Amino acid sequence: MLGPSGVGKSSLLSCLCGSEKPTEGTVNFKIDNEEERDPESISPHLGVIFQNLRLTAHATVLDNVLYGRLGKYKLKETLWGFSQKSRQEAYTILEDLGIPHLAYKWMTQTSGGEQQRTAIARTLFHDPKIILADEPVSNLDTYYAGRILGLLRNKAMEEGKIILCALHDPQLINRFADLALSLNPEHPEGWRLRKVHG
Amino acid sequence: MNPKTTPLKSGQLPVRRWHERLNFLNVTVILFLFLTIFAGKSMLTNNRPADVAAGIRYFFNKFFPPDFSDWPIIFVSLGETFQIAIIATFISILLSLIIALGASRNIAPTWLVQTTRMFLNITRTLPSLIWAFLFVILFGATPIAGVFALTFYSLGYLGKFFSETFESVDVQVARGLKLIGASKMQAFRFGLWPNVKAQVWSHSLWMLEYNIRSASIVGLVGAGGIGMELNKAMDMASGFQKVTAILICILGIVILLDLLSQAIRRWITSKVSPKSISE
Repeated sequence: MLGPSGVGKSSLLSCLCGSEKPTEGTVNFKIDNEEERDPESISPHLGVIFQNLRLTAHATVLDNVLYGRLGKYKLKETLWGFSQKSRQEAYTILEDLGIPHLAYKWMTQTSGGEQQRTAIARTLFHDPKIILADEPVSNLDTYYAGRILGLLRNKAMEEGKIILCALHDPQLINRFADLALSLNPEHPEGWRLRKVHG
Repeated sequence: MNPKTTPLKSGQLPVRRWHERLNFLNVTVILFLFLTIFAGKSMLTNNRPADVAAGIRYFFNKFFPPDFSDWPIIFVSLGETFQIAIIATFISILLSLIIALGASRNIAPTWLVQTTRMFLNITRTLPSLIWAFLFVILFGATPIAGVFALTFYSLGYLGKFFSETFESVDVQVARGLKLIGASKMQAFRFGLWPNVKAQVWSHSLWMLEYNIRSASIVGLVGAGGIGMELNKAMDMASGFQKVTAILICILGIVILLDLLSQAIRRWITSKVSPKSISE
């Protein structure tokens, strides 16, 4: 999804993930031939990488990654911490994203790019069917931006995930997207969906 | 000339009228100065001629040297004072955490926030001594009255402090966790609690410090603790030297606990840097 700043990319994503109500119409998802459901009732299947990340500042990087799977556990299972198996799994994702050394660092001790990678790690650990991502690589260098979008693309290809990603770099879109939705600032009718890959 | 109607040259800074230049802070300071001047008058008109030097001599003769002969009783009462403060603080922390959720604008609906804040204001308005007086009527002259009095008084303060702490953090984090499937309790436990934890403990320790001071006072109306001994000593004709001994003991324990609690609070705040993560 691309378009100039202020055109409504983030608003559209907010409506899709249920954090904002659309002024007109409704948002419904249909997963695996089930009935159509609103964003709230499919939230365990919905992963969101927020533009402002929404990480817990006074918790460790590893804990923030673990929080991705809260929807799959009951409160009493997580009240005093997460299982060793989950922790190991989360750590492996941090390794994939090049920040294993930060596992026990507090969020407040990390840089913007490291925080963004933590937010992505949280979503990868969550392992949802649908991922909505708002400028997920805006704070990253070209190497990690490419690596992470490649990782997300693999998830889409191999595991059949749906990934909707707001990006502003046309080069990244050409490299990683199947479909590109251009948002027109003047008319919603002017929105354009074109095939990039596949 | 009314500046509002003055045609302005382009590029010229618009002139504000006098009432636009006033702000609430200035008005409050001016009002405060006026009130102080008026209050000063009452000091002058009610002036009683007093022999200050004689007063000081009387004080030193009567109150010194301190009489520590009742030290076992003082020791036990101080222990009781400490127990009253600890129990009252503990109960009020638990209750305040729940009440504060209802008093936080970023968490609860407006009607609940207003009702809860009204309740907190009322509990804060009554001084701990008045609360103690009310509960002595209810429960009789026992330490339980003291515990209830300090619990209610602390509720007003901790409820306010905790709700302000909750309001100072970004609830978007907790909302974000809910959007990706966390339950309400999980969102609170993992999205909000880690960010407020240090502040909550710091406020709680401050309240404990405060309650130990208050617990020595509530005994004056019979609500247990060292205050009851103080009251007894003051009623005795020859008790003034005992009063001094008790006051020295209270001072000692309060200073000690202040130092201890300050050290713990400094340690907590140094562990948690106030820096928030970048947006």
